[in-house]
Amino acid sequence: MKLLVAVKQVAALDEDFEIRSDGKDVDPDFLIRDLNEWDDYSLEEAVRIKEAAAGGAAAVEIVVVCVGPEDADESLRKCLAKGADRALRVWDETIEGSDSIAVARIIAAVARKERPDMLFAGVQSSDHSFASTGIAAAAFLDWPHAAVVTHLTYTPGANTAVLRRELEGGVLHEMQLECPAVLTIQLGINTPRYASLRSIKQAAARPIEALSLEQLGVKPSDVGESGSLSRVRRMYVPDRGHAQMIEGSVEEQAARLAKIIKDLTGSAA
Amino acid sequence: MSDVEIVTRVLFEDFTPSAVGLFYALGFAAIALFFFGVYVQVRKYRRGAAASLGGNLSARFGAMIGTVLSHRTVARRDRPAGAAHRLIFYGFLLLFLGTATITLDYDILGPLFGVHFWHGGFYLWFSLILDVAGVLLAGGLAYMMYRRGWLRPPKLDYARPDRRPGDPDYDRSGYRREDWAFLWTLLVIVATGYVLEAARLVWLEGRPEVWSYRWWSPAGAVLAEAMRAAGLTQAAGGALRQGLWWFHGFVALLFIALIPLTKVKHIFTSAGSLMLRDPLAAQRLPGVPEDQQRVGAQFITDFTWKQLLSLDACTKCGRCHEACPARAVGAPLSPRDVILSLREFANKTLEAAELPAEAELDVHGKGPGQVAMETLWACRTCMACVEVCPVAIEHVPIIVQMRRKLVEDGQMDPLLKKTLQTIHKTGNSFGESRRKRAAWTKSLPFPVKDARKEPVEVLWFVGDYASFDPRNQKVTQAFAQLLHEAGVDYGILYDAESNAGNDVRRVGEEGLYEVLAGANIQSLSAASFKTIVTTDPHSFNTIRNEYPEFGGNYEIQHYTTLVQRLLLEGRLKIARQLGVRVTFHDPCHLGRFNKGYEAPREILRLLGCELIEMGRCRSNSFCCGAGGGRIWIPDPVGLDKPAHNRMREAAAIPGLQVYVVSCPKDLTMFEDALKTTGNEGKFVVKELIELIGEALRREPAVPAPGVAA
Amino acid sequence: MSGILLVAEIRRGELRPATAELVSAAQAARRGSDDRVAVAVIADDPQRLVPGVSLAGVDEIIAVKVAAPEFDPDTFESAVRALIEARKPALVLVPHSIDSFGYAAALATKGGYGFATDVFRFEYQDGALVATRGGYGQKVNVEVDFPGKDVVVLALRGNVFKPPEGGSSPAVTSFAAPDLQPRTNSRSFIEVSSADDVDMAAAEFILAIGRGIGEQAKVEQFRELAAAVGATLGCSRPVADAGWLPKSRQVGQSGKTASACKLYVAMGISGAIQHLAGMKHVSTIVAVNADAGASIFNVAKYGIVGDIFEIADALRSHF
Repeated sequence: MKLLVAVKQVAALDEDFEIRSDGKDVDPDFLIRDLNEWDDYSLEEAVRIKEAAAGGAAAVEIVVVCVGPEDADESLRKCLAKGADRALRVWDETIEGSDSIAVARIIAAVARKERPDMLFAGVQSSDHSFASTGIAAAAFLDWPHAAVVTHLTYTPGANTAVLRRELEGGVLHEMQLECPAVLTIQLGINTPRYASLRSIKQAAARPIEALSLEQLGVKPSDVGESGSLSRVRRMYVPDRGHAQMIEGSVEEQAARLAKIIKDLTGSAA
Repeated sequence: MSDVEIVTRVLFEDFTPSAVGLFYALGFAAIALFFFGVYVQVRKYRRGAAASLGGNLSARFGAMIGTVLSHRTVARRDRPAGAAHRLIFYGFLLLFLGTATITLDYDILGPLFGVHFWHGGFYLWFSLILDVAGVLLAGGLAYMMYRRGWLRPPKLDYARPDRRPGDPDYDRSGYRREDWAFLWTLLVIVATGYVLEAARLVWLEGRPEVWSYRWWSPAGAVLAEAMRAAGLTQAAGGALRQGLWWFHGFVALLFIALIPLTKVKHIFTSAGSLMLRDPLAAQRLPGVPEDQQRVGAQFITDFTWKQLLSLDACTKCGRCHEACPARAVGAPLSPRDVILSLREFANKTLEAAELPAEAELDVHGKGPGQVAMETLWACRTCMACVEVCPVAIEHVPIIVQMRRKLVEDGQMDPLLKKTLQTIHKTGNSFGESRRKRAAWTKSLPFPVKDARKEPVEVLWFVGDYASFDPRNQKVTQAFAQLLHEAGVDYGILYDAESNAGNDVRRVGEEGLYEVLAGANIQSLSAASFKTIVTTDPHSFNTIRNEYPEFGGNYEIQHYTTLVQRLLLEGRLKIARQLGVRVTFHDPCHLGRFNKGYEAPREILRLLGCELIEMGRCRSNSFCCGAGGGRIWIPDPVGLDKPAHNRMREAAAIPGLQVYVVSCPKDLTMFEDALKTTGNEGKFVVKELIELIGEALRREPAVPAPGVAA
Repeated sequence: MSGILLVAEIRRGELRPATAELVSAAQAARRGSDDRVAVAVIADDPQRLVPGVSLAGVDEIIAVKVAAPEFDPDTFESAVRALIEARKPALVLVPHSIDSFGYAAALATKGGYGFATDVFRFEYQDGALVATRGGYGQKVNVEVDFPGKDVVVLALRGNVFKPPEGGSSPAVTSFAAPDLQPRTNSRSFIEVSSADDVDMAAAEFILAIGRGIGEQAKVEQFRELAAAVGATLGCSRPVADAGWLPKSRQVGQSGKTASACKLYVAMGISGAIQHLAGMKHVSTIVAVNADAGASIFNVAKYGIVGDIFEIADALRSHF
């Protein structure tokens, strides 16, 4: 039994960031990298399924895959420390400039190679929030799929799973789908475990398998800009509206706020 | 008067050889039982992990003898108990030495070499000293009984905050029974000893070499006179002596045999614990060797043999229980009860002939003898317990080692988890970008040297709170101003500084600590400086005591040492005397941890402040509650907080104007507590640096309430 | 390649407001008089929903009758793709919503169409479609285009385009969706109920707290403050996820929308896009946060940079 979890190393902006000279992205000096917050949850869900099935018919293997350059190894090590059995990474320069669909193509190729019973991804990434990669991979695989999963009942190897999608307004939609399937996992589905630094250090001794596009049967023209369904023209810092700031001492600020409240709610001053 | 030289006590007088033989048989049986008991205890300790001891054994032994003879540690914070225990100790010691002397004469030197010395003048002085010794012992025992029975200090009821009524190990009456049994047994031995002595005197009143010298055994003589006056005849005295002799001997031998199995073993274990003590136990926590499989203490056998021995040293004196700030506010932690739980657990599992299966050796949990995680997480690692323990038990490393296991398993408050992840990611507990670490320098009217780029004389290790917390940033800026005015050549590490790791280590995240220490040592090694100064006692402690193990050997001082020197050298000129009434809160990591009590006080004196000490000051300072990672763990709703408890203590000082701190966490905790305890407006909380700043200027920055304008 | 195809969003037999927003967005995309806006209504009884979609700016309603009674990703994906292949619209608009998360990327992948999500602005520049979305946690804007793509699918951010005013009488046509064996089936809808029966959507004055309050023990102070000032207490997602307040009080994309709210005071809330989705439309927003760079200050009308506890304390004394 195998669960494949696609993870992303995302980037957050540091103080005083600058757009790089070609105007299409931020200068990498100002990017702080970390494992995507949603991936903590999808990996944790996979580990829980594995632990629930422990002692059963067959062991469950959890494989994490990341499309990213070498510095993504840090996030993959964290995943190994949290309970993943194997880690795979795919990267070469031709992948640069890929949108989430091109990345999904690669992930789907990994899934064809690994033949897992389920593929998990996060609903979206905290940096660019495409919310597309997982479902696009499902399309490449032509697998059943569901997004924004906030509750899952699944036994490894079963041919159906029951899940709940978290809809707008807090309503849950319960559905049953055929497996193998692709699920994008939402925050709050579980409480991700803590990976101690020691376990992460120990994971550093475990290998991360690097896969090439060739091994996956993916052509260079299928990735990068040519393999994408959109292309970045430019990135810029927008002029933003800004609130009128209330200055002064705490008392002055609170008094002003009290006045705003009383004016608008019509209570006696 | 007979020739004094022949005066002695005839041992086994009128005993048949078989009676003597019986006595010796009982004696050897008692000694054998004693040694078997010792064997069981030693086997228990040896089932623990290996321990490395620093220093040489003879120096340690000498120090221990000195400590024990002076009873300095027993008298601390409980002088009556100290005095009474001195009586018991010296009484018992003298009586023991007395018996050993007799054995030496009668069983060794006599039969082997025909040498006898226990007679004549020696014998008489011997008798007198031992009689007095017995009275001392009885006096001490009587006081202890009065203390337990009448005075009833709360700590002696052994009520424990980490169990609820109904839990199997909640009831402590077994301990109280054992305590009383110990007192009574010794008292019975002493009392019967005197009666026995008196009976013998009456029995031998016809023998001048006994009767004329009876006043060399004054207590016995008084009793003998009383008994005679009551009508005791010589023959009756003899019979009484015979019966009491066997009773007294039997009880005494039983007592000896049971030493290794009862509280009495503290005679050896306390001495052992004192001899093996690590004076930096809480300041310099043990590292984890690279090759170690499991991290932290999960099983009782993960503790070292030294730790297992120290568990047996505890005499339930309760000083740690009283000193603990967590216990004081009702948290489910008493250092005493952690030690006693582990001891009960060790006795239950490690005294058996066969070591039980590993699963039964897990000390974590809520079962009898186990320690719950709520208990472990309540600790502030303030080391008040370690500092006051008369027998040098080291509670803090035990708690931290158990925390290491909890951290491995992720068993901690979600906020703490998040903070550790944040520290790993950004190098600080605020989650701010590294680039913002020196943002506080931007508003200064002078530049602050970058120690990464140029050599400096003094490297200022700023610390997280001092760098990022808005209130503390003001203090940091004020300190920069001080250094600038004094013309000190100083610099900071800017983005190359990370959280020093002191609290991360005390939380038990040793892996993250290694990362932080490694990063800081790398930054420090790349810089060029003579000495490090810091305004953060936590950073001070870990850089001073713990970084050397990781290759970072630096001379470091807390700012109070540096500033005291600057003031005395006149490089900082005091423009006015402040004339305010202050009290000083000794920060745990500066005071108790590193004995830095004097410099702040000297500075306050130079500033012209009137210092009124709080009751709990210097080594007994009461922790603000933020240590041990607790500043990253939400406080349980409804419980009091250590900072509030401390504020109330300060508020009791009449006319107090300023509560002086010299630690960023103290500043944060106490400013908060000032408001929450309703003391806002009565006095203010200030960092010592701020007071210094005020004294260097002609006019005050902001008048403290109560100061006449 | 012409025409604009919109996909209506339907839940439990009702049209969702996002559908109307697509209609107004589509008007800006018309490049000529013969660029027609058509709305596909994919449901088991599409005719019933026709009146609700007869909005100003809609030229045609395509009724697509399907077997699935509720949203099903395979059904929507195959129906919309069949529509696209039959009609070849230049532009396809869907809402950037939980439902579209489930099928839009699959649709674009299988069809090889241009694709961008969470788009809040788009226009034709020199004949080429340029869409603008956010990047790096909404701290920057990113312009994307779709070279060589005849059909582009855009998922539009909600609450950006105002619904159209007025109605219309569009032509109603039918389209036969392809037969398929669905691989998912809908079982039930579950309201997340709690003892707390607050109606966030009806509240006119909301005081919301976020991660900045730090710990559960601090909630009480704000609960009391909200009562004192006459506000309904709300929160952002991290507070509800941590269990400090019931989910019923969560405002945001997966929580409630502050639909009736006129005054929203956000304390200790940074302004993550998911939270803004639930409240940024409110006419008066006051944000209190210790971080001067928090995104919430970009949508708020008034802002206070300060310690939320101190401000709360001081505010309390005025009521």
